[in-house]
Amino acid sequence: MNDKISMQSVRTLVRLEMRARFGSRVDTTPKDKAGKALGIIFTLAIYAILVTGIYFLAAMFVRRSDMPFEFLVVAMTFTVCVTTVVAIGNVVKNLYLSGDNELLLRFPVNGKEILLAKSIYCFIHNVVINLLIMIPVCAIYGAVSSAPVGFYFVAIAVMIVAIPLPYAIANLLAIPVMMLMNLVKNQFLLVLILLIAAICGVFILYMTALSGVLEYMRDEGEGMFSPEVMSIFRNFADGAYPFRWYAMLLGGWFSGYSAKDAGLAFLYIFLITAAISVAAYFVTTRTYYKIILIGIETEKVSFQKKIPNIRRSVFGTLLHREFFLILRSFNYSFQYLAMAVAAPVMVYYCNDLAATMGKNTVGAAIVPGLTLLVIIIFSAIIVSFASTSISREGSAFYHTKIVPVSYTTQILAKLVLYAAVGTASVVLSTVVVAAAFGTEEAGRLLTSLDIGCIFIISEMITLALTCLAIASDVKSPTFNVVGDGEMVSANKNMVLSLVVGIVVAALFGVFTMIFSFLPLQVGDVVIIPIGETNNIYAILGGISAVILAASVAGLFANLERRYQRIAP
Amino acid sequence: MLKVTNLKKVYPKSDRVAVDDISFELRPGEIFGFLGQNGAGKSTTIKCLTGILPFEGGSIEVCGYDIQKEPIKAKMNMGYVPDNHSVYEKLTGREYVNYVADLYRVSKEDRTERLERYLDLFKLRFAIDKQIKAYSHGMKQKICIIAALIHEPKLWVLDEPMMGLDPQSTAEIIAYMREHCAKGNTVFFSSHNLDLVKRLCHRVAIINEGHLIDCFDLAGNEENKANLEERFFKITGTYEKRLFEDYVAQEQAEMRPDMPVEEAPASTEDEQ
Repeated sequence: MNDKISMQSVRTLVRLEMRARFGSRVDTTPKDKAGKALGIIFTLAIYAILVTGIYFLAAMFVRRSDMPFEFLVVAMTFTVCVTTVVAIGNVVKNLYLSGDNELLLRFPVNGKEILLAKSIYCFIHNVVINLLIMIPVCAIYGAVSSAPVGFYFVAIAVMIVAIPLPYAIANLLAIPVMMLMNLVKNQFLLVLILLIAAICGVFILYMTALSGVLEYMRDEGEGMFSPEVMSIFRNFADGAYPFRWYAMLLGGWFSGYSAKDAGLAFLYIFLITAAISVAAYFVTTRTYYKIILIGIETEKVSFQKKIPNIRRSVFGTLLHREFFLILRSFNYSFQYLAMAVAAPVMVYYCNDLAATMGKNTVGAAIVPGLTLLVIIIFSAIIVSFASTSISREGSAFYHTKIVPVSYTTQILAKLVLYAAVGTASVVLSTVVVAAAFGTEEAGRLLTSLDIGCIFIISEMITLALTCLAIASDVKSPTFNVVGDGEMVSANKNMVLSLVVGIVVAALFGVFTMIFSFLPLQVGDVVIIPIGETNNIYAILGGISAVILAASVAGLFANLERRYQRIAP
Repeated sequence: MLKVTNLKKVYPKSDRVAVDDISFELRPGEIFGFLGQNGAGKSTTIKCLTGILPFEGGSIEVCGYDIQKEPIKAKMNMGYVPDNHSVYEKLTGREYVNYVADLYRVSKEDRTERLERYLDLFKLRFAIDKQIKAYSHGMKQKICIIAALIHEPKLWVLDEPMMGLDPQSTAEIIAYMREHCAKGNTVFFSSHNLDLVKRLCHRVAIINEGHLIDCFDLAGNEENKANLEERFFKITGTYEKRLFEDYVAQEQAEMRPDMPVEEAPASTEDEQ
């Protein structure tokens, strides 16, 4: 192979990569534009929450607790860790798992040119992520600590110095990550367990951090961290290398460190970054071409499983096939099974946080409403997966048409599977909240009546949402699959199903919360007296039953004819 | 076995009639070839008669059961091999065949006996317990064929079955088509391969732009066999005297420019 790199080829490949990520300039419909605008608003909202969190923490550390240097160490630890994790994901996805490697190798470009082009894209991505996190950290720190103008110039220099390290670490770690992924490729149950553990772990970490921030905001009157917490932060800041060096460069001169200390910190950072970058360069350039070739060659590597010829009932075999097609896909396992198992953990933490915060402001009466809200939201997330149940058949969809099994039976099998998983998740979530909030020790925030009614209403809504999700896919499936038959991305039915679920959750939750401490009166007739939760549950139960009946009818009425009309 | 009467199919959001007023009937024990250019309506007809596509006019009966009124009974008597051999790639070959056998209510004993037979016949024993995603093009085609035959259908429908297959696999499939037919069953397949159709089919139909233009016997009718290419080219509007004469001439061994006369095959059998 000719190893000479043509910059023209590299430029073309980078342009291709950018176009693949951000789309061509083809005119989009108003609907697409609205979708894009919504996506941008959602991203901006999440970013605004992050920036607000940083601001509160900065104020707490710098103004109230007089620990500016400790804040910088914590902030740099957070920045470098987050950007490294994001960069690893990005490098693995773009350099090693990208489906276009085989395609690119057919063109007159060599492995080094592909590597360089993709690395340029990954580096640009890394720069953007770094800046998105570091700019608010530095700006907020500067504003909160009333730093002089010089600080902002130093901050720009530190940003430039800080950007290469996460990228270099990511390049170095991407190869073992890839090896690990290849190792567990066909260990479906192990992967599922790991995914569940990862989801629960990340969620618990996130909720604990959020709870800490909210706790601080609530107790703001105290004005500062407790002496124990301050001591923990000081000890952490003393030993958190190499993050401490970044903090020293950034604000050491503010906190009494000498120019020599700052100079040494720069030297250490430079040496570490250079050493890791050189190692990453050699490892990547020497292994990249081999690894993508192995990836192409082993893409079709599959497992072998000897089973006897077992005869199952028609319904049993439909269920069996549906379940195994989900279990044997990383994407589907993550989206559905892992989420379903992890949901009770998420419900517990969300409920705990919301109940604690809400209880202190409007009283314990809102806890049942909050619980209902949280359980239905997570159910909606889980069952939204059912809205791709037909689309996921992909190019094998014709199979559902040629087999001598009615479409009703086939759809019923899907419904039973998704409803069973959704139901299991609702049962577990209810048991968890009952154990956590229904005991004497927890102050009986939920009574047996609350728990029973919450379960019944949530279950009816879960079943209704499952029916609606499947019905939306029967109406307009999109057989957009790649590779061995996996969907490219979530379709519009999934978004619709999620939105409906969240709206129902919000309406039911807010209704229960409001009328837990306010009466509902129409003219002179009091429909819900204060404190009469029985009436609230009766009304919501009735509405849920109607919604369920309507969705079951909507799914099954005239199903044979509607399904027959689907043309693959 | 199969009766198609005045079949009409229009795709949604399309003005063009994909299949218009097509009628034909298949008898038990025959192999029926379905010819036409790309886009003539072959696959659309096949998709209608297998129940994949709804249609706007006419009727289709499989073993006396109307595909629209009694679809389950009609499908129970049919086995279908698609042109793209799409299957559930995450299942193993055995899981897939068992899944299909369950749907067609095949007993454990029957499926075991048949599967063993087909695995030997199609030389797929080495791969049956592997995930289908690791199969080659030909192996996928074979697993589709095994799955389509696991319930021993009376009507076996194949859409361009020899596409991309190696000569050995093609020969195996041809042999099994004949065997299936000898048991009183019917084989209906579409193809672009006129030679294959000539050698294999009892009858043939030629479709052009959605219309069935011609349907005639091949078995026992040497004249029809000899004229098949000419009729096909004329019907499909691709007849050019010069090209056709070249084509016919090249079929004669001594005229083939790519082969010395003494090495020419006795017949065109081996080309498949």
